[in-house]
Amino acid sequence: MAPHSPGTDQIDTLLWIGFVAAAIVIVAVNVALFAALRRRGGEGAAVETVGGRGRQLRVGGALTLFAAAILVLSLIYTDKAQQTPASGAAGLASAKSKPLTIEATGQQWLWRYDYPNGAFSYYRLVVPVDTTVELSLVSTDVIHTWDVPQLAPQRGAVPGKTNHVVFRADEEGDFRGQSSTFSGQAYAAMRTEVEVVSPQEYEAFIARQKAAIQAAQDRVVGLIENGEVP
Amino acid sequence: MSASARPEVVVDGFPARRPRWIELATSADHKDIGRVMIGASLGFLFIAVVELLLMRLQLSVPENTLLTPVHFNRMLSLYGATAIFLFAIPLALGLFYYLAPLQIGARGTALPRLGQIGLWLYLIGAAVLYSGFLWTPTEAGVNPLAPLSELAFLPNNGVDAWCAACGLATLGFVLIAINLIATMRRMRAPGMAWRRLPVFAWAAAIGSWLLVVIGAVMLAAIAMLLIDRNFDGIFFADGSGGAPLLWEHFSWIFFTGAYMLILIAALGAAAEIVPVFSGRPLSGRGTVVGSLAVIAVIGTLAWMQNMLTAPIGIGWMYFAMIMSLALIVPFGLILYNLIATLAAGSARMRAPLLFAVGAISMISIGLGAEISHSMVAVAWRLQNTVDSTAATHFALVGGSVFGGFAALHYWFPKMTGRTMGETLGRASFWTMAVGMLVAFVPLFIAGTDHGQVADAYKFFEGTGVSTENLIATIGAFVLALGIVLGIVNAIVSRTGGARAGHDHWGGDSLEWFALSPPEPHNFDVLPDVRSDRPMRDIRLAIAQRGERAEEARDAQPVA
Repeated sequence: MAPHSPGTDQIDTLLWIGFVAAAIVIVAVNVALFAALRRRGGEGAAVETVGGRGRQLRVGGALTLFAAAILVLSLIYTDKAQQTPASGAAGLASAKSKPLTIEATGQQWLWRYDYPNGAFSYYRLVVPVDTTVELSLVSTDVIHTWDVPQLAPQRGAVPGKTNHVVFRADEEGDFRGQSSTFSGQAYAAMRTEVEVVSPQEYEAFIARQKAAIQAAQDRVVGLIENGEVP
Repeated sequence: MSASARPEVVVDGFPARRPRWIELATSADHKDIGRVMIGASLGFLFIAVVELLLMRLQLSVPENTLLTPVHFNRMLSLYGATAIFLFAIPLALGLFYYLAPLQIGARGTALPRLGQIGLWLYLIGAAVLYSGFLWTPTEAGVNPLAPLSELAFLPNNGVDAWCAACGLATLGFVLIAINLIATMRRMRAPGMAWRRLPVFAWAAAIGSWLLVVIGAVMLAAIAMLLIDRNFDGIFFADGSGGAPLLWEHFSWIFFTGAYMLILIAALGAAAEIVPVFSGRPLSGRGTVVGSLAVIAVIGTLAWMQNMLTAPIGIGWMYFAMIMSLALIVPFGLILYNLIATLAAGSARMRAPLLFAVGAISMISIGLGAEISHSMVAVAWRLQNTVDSTAATHFALVGGSVFGGFAALHYWFPKMTGRTMGETLGRASFWTMAVGMLVAFVPLFIAGTDHGQVADAYKFFEGTGVSTENLIATIGAFVLALGIVLGIVNAIVSRTGGARAGHDHWGGDSLEWFALSPPEPHNFDVLPDVRSDRPMRDIRLAIAQRGERAEEARDAQPVA
């Protein structure tokens, strides 16, 4: 799964570091276990030589170094993954100075996106390429998690709180996502999709969306005024 | 005999024994209670396996409609509660409760009735959970996160049944743990200083303390959820002063602690089995015991590792990461010493050792994968995916099923006077080992490479995880077959196993000094404990006495 945002790029690197660390642990333990079982320990192999305090300290020290190395790498890359990248040259002109803020609302079992200028959409989030986007995650009912692995770290939408996730898509295209906290019956169906488009297409989408919302609003008002809806 | 009548007591034999089940049901003896707990937990292992298979069947092909979402969620919720509350914890606790008093040379427990009510609370809790089938079982997931578990979102009584069941069982565990703590503090045999306690008894002490702490937290959380649901409480409601994240904190403290408890029990059992079957004393005994204690504390403090995507401060996330990465040291030291002990001796490759080695191997895979999940940024990618399902299952199935069967094979002769079948034991081991790898390794791939989410009732065509899930389902069936073989082995061997001696494996701790199965009072005479290997001292003393007797016989004049 190729990363398509500066943050997920760092996460991807750390994922490989984690994979290597896990592989070292798993291979070391299982090879040692196998070798120990194969070995016919001689009568002279005194357990004191393997179990002495000096040996325990050395093994403990080596393990501590290993853990510390993972911790340091992990801190470095976690910190990098959080740094908010500025919008790039090809991004939305109005979002150069501060990120484009969109509100994402988790509700059983659909995501709603509210754009800064009054437009909204369900399920599909449309964002401009090369532009830093900040999602404000909120929930109207239970805990949901917004998870589009190629673009952004997972973040929980907890009722009563606002969580933030920042990403900058580096390529146009569709990115699959889902909700990743168990949220009841239709949890598996609670997916989302991020469509990354050029800034011009984004502006056009917002205009289209606003026009469509206005048309729907006019129709409702028209129907009520004509007395067609009780 | 004179003709004058004298009053005398006439006994026509002993009073008739009551039926076995009444004896068991009314007994406060720690061995009876331990056996019922172990037996019941194995029964629930079978039920959990059936539930797992139903879920795996549903997830064998994309967009399957075998189970409705509601039924899948019920299976998921019941599976979680059954595997943790009705199988893994009671199995560990049952083994502790049976063996720790024997290992410390006690003739019983300090507060036997407390243990008895503990067992019954656990059994009643289990009955309550499954009585949910009479109305609606819980649908709130493995960990019923508020506010999903609140009345507004799940208005039927399923979550209430979950609360009552898990609350009663947890209360039972806490009572048993209190009795174990009291027993181990007050009733050790003469000379049985803490430093001479067998490692498994240490695991029992550490595990009991851990259970008292985390059990209290869970009981508080469950009480709060019940108040929320039934008495208009607002503990976990957002707004009006409540906090949905509070449930996450409380419940993850319990579940993380329970995870550690299961591993402590498994590694404690392995630390008894490995030395006996390699003919060498445990390497670094003090280090192993100390590491178990450190795991209990630090491991539980890492609870926020499960909340790395929640809106909590980055400082708390780093705290969780430091705690869980620090676990590398104690776990590494224990595994090092177990392997060093194996390497120093010549392994007698019998079923208990096979399962113990399997447990170490599976736990190493789970904990190795868990390292990634400790790294904050990686957790932002892998948390809530099936990758974490696989890591958790390797550690916990490795600990509770492989470790549990290792302990069962090892101590079965002590509990029943018969051995478990060796051939069937080996067959079940290899089936389970292959099943584990086939069932859960594909989920690592599906979670890491394709981000498949955990706990979902279906996955979609074209998300690239169809092959992985099909293989995982096949693996789950192989694993289930292995587990069933193991359970059948235990059932058959109870009455049909080969007779075992009182010290079947040549163990060094005091439970092997008792008869097999032990008398109700455990020991006719209490030995004077002089070292951390009292049974070995007794064997040596008997051998010496035998030699002296022979010398004396040889020295006697023939005439």
